[in-house]
Amino acid sequence: MMLPYLITIPLFGAFALPIVSLAGRKARELWAILVSALTLGVATEVFRTVWKSGEVMVYTLGAESPLGQGVDFPIRIVWEVDLLGAIVALMIAFIAFVAILYSTEYMRHDTGLEKYYALILLLEVGMLGIAITGDLFNFYVFLEIMSIASYALVAFRNDTWEGIEAGIKYMFAGSLASAFILLGIALLYGQYGTLTMAYLAKQIAANPTFTAKVALGLIAGGLLFKSGAVPVHMWLADAHPAAPSSISAMLSGLVIKIGGTYALARLAFSVYGMGINLRTLGWIIIFFACLTLIVGNAMAIVQTDMKRLFAFSSVGQIGYILLGIGIGLAAYGSDVGEVALAGAIYHTVNHALMKALLFLVAGAVIHQLGTKNLNELSGIARKMPVTSFAFLVGAAAIIGLPPLNGFASKWLIYESSALFNPFLAAIAVIGTAFCTAAYIRVLFTFFGRPSEKVMNAKEPGKAMLVPMMILVLAIILMGLFPWAISEKVMIPAAKMLENVGTYVSAVLGGA
Amino acid sequence: MKKAFGTLALLFLLGVLLVVASPSNGIKFGLGGEDWKTYRYTDEYYIQHGMDEVGGTNIVTDIVFDYRGYDTLGEATVLFTAIAGAVALLRPWRRDENEE
Repeated sequence: MMLPYLITIPLFGAFALPIVSLAGRKARELWAILVSALTLGVATEVFRTVWKSGEVMVYTLGAESPLGQGVDFPIRIVWEVDLLGAIVALMIAFIAFVAILYSTEYMRHDTGLEKYYALILLLEVGMLGIAITGDLFNFYVFLEIMSIASYALVAFRNDTWEGIEAGIKYMFAGSLASAFILLGIALLYGQYGTLTMAYLAKQIAANPTFTAKVALGLIAGGLLFKSGAVPVHMWLADAHPAAPSSISAMLSGLVIKIGGTYALARLAFSVYGMGINLRTLGWIIIFFACLTLIVGNAMAIVQTDMKRLFAFSSVGQIGYILLGIGIGLAAYGSDVGEVALAGAIYHTVNHALMKALLFLVAGAVIHQLGTKNLNELSGIARKMPVTSFAFLVGAAAIIGLPPLNGFASKWLIYESSALFNPFLAAIAVIGTAFCTAAYIRVLFTFFGRPSEKVMNAKEPGKAMLVPMMILVLAIILMGLFPWAISEKVMIPAAKMLENVGTYVSAVLGGA
Repeated sequence: MKKAFGTLALLFLLGVLLVVASPSNGIKFGLGGEDWKTYRYTDEYYIQHGMDEVGGTNIVTDIVFDYRGYDTLGEATVLFTAIAGAVALLRPWRRDENEE
């Protein structure tokens, strides 16, 4: 069983990093790369096992069985990985590996790097923990690890005013959101007396109370904040531009999805799936999804700062994922709902790949030219052809051009929303129109006449180009077999998520 | 306008939480007798079996270091993260290359 190593390897890597750092810069970088590569290997193995067997993987910490002696309820912490959890764990390990590889050159001019690598590994631990946990309080602990590491990493460049400002804003609002989640968990424990998600699902199904609904409201509110849904998206537009680009890639590609949309889907389906009216919850999420789609993508058009543009575009893409989850809830049990959910899962993975690529491109431009203002960047394509090509692939994928991976996932969401309610499909298409406009604008900047500032630019080194090329390759490869991936991986993942019975009985042993 | 809306939202939230905290509608306080068995069955289990399963006489340490040990490990990691973050942010500013 490889599952425990998914946490212990990066955790050990992070705790050992201050000691390894004593051996110098090279040792530190090698250590971080080695640890994240090992984690990627373990995540691949876990994904392969879950995908092959099609069963939920359960691991109890400290005993053979999660159940106590002679009783039918779990008393220990369980980790529970279904196909969705395995997919996001693989995605986290992959993007984190790429981002760490990229930082070796990108962060070279910064100080305090032993803390940087420790924090980036802790960020990875936190997200992997959220992906695999089956215990509500354990989820909160990992959420806090992830959040605290990301507050510190956003403000990592402490000599820039924007880093500190964004960090403070993110931390104050984020702690409040975490507190809401903790309050919701406390209410659930007070009412039902258990923290295990599977057993809680059974308890809520047997006795759906008002308290459970209030707790759901509080937790969902906190999670919507963490995902950057529209009324509470402002921290994101500040935090992503201010963070170092390798961190923006992880924040935008992973943190907002793991701590936000993934946790929301897990809570809605696996915990509340049998107890409450999912239709109402689905429509509430759809409402926020539509707002997020329009506002995020529309705000992306008017930006002049490249990273801020990408940040608003992330908000817009979260709208698609939320729309897929919302339709999956509102049309629970029908084919339309299943396709929408599969689209949301697929888009989560795709957006992680392409937004990570776009932020790495932005990082390369900032690193070489020292500016991210789009008005000064005209004509980069002449001087930095490889970087510009990577941007072209990322932008085409995010808009959803057919040969690339963004097409299939967006198509699933368009198709299901058109079948569910044509009005929602219209909103999704308007969102994409805005998104296209924003990226075409950047494209024209890149391929315009070289400005004076750009004349002496050159390509970054290998350690920055290779991660970008890995992501380009992943996007193109996933774009070649879109329907095979959606048939073989995403639809089964959506089916497994919808099937609450197996999730519960995997822990309770058919009880 | 925004402030008024925020205050109203907070008042609404407070009202809802008061309803939840009232024993007739939501969570009960001072559980005893049968209620203890229905709402606090896990706690009952820890009290009954903690001694022979874990071996400690202190139930709280039995729980935080054995039954739910990984939460404690997670909390230690939170602390480590917070310290690493604080030290990272309080480091001296980056100087110009020629000053070093």
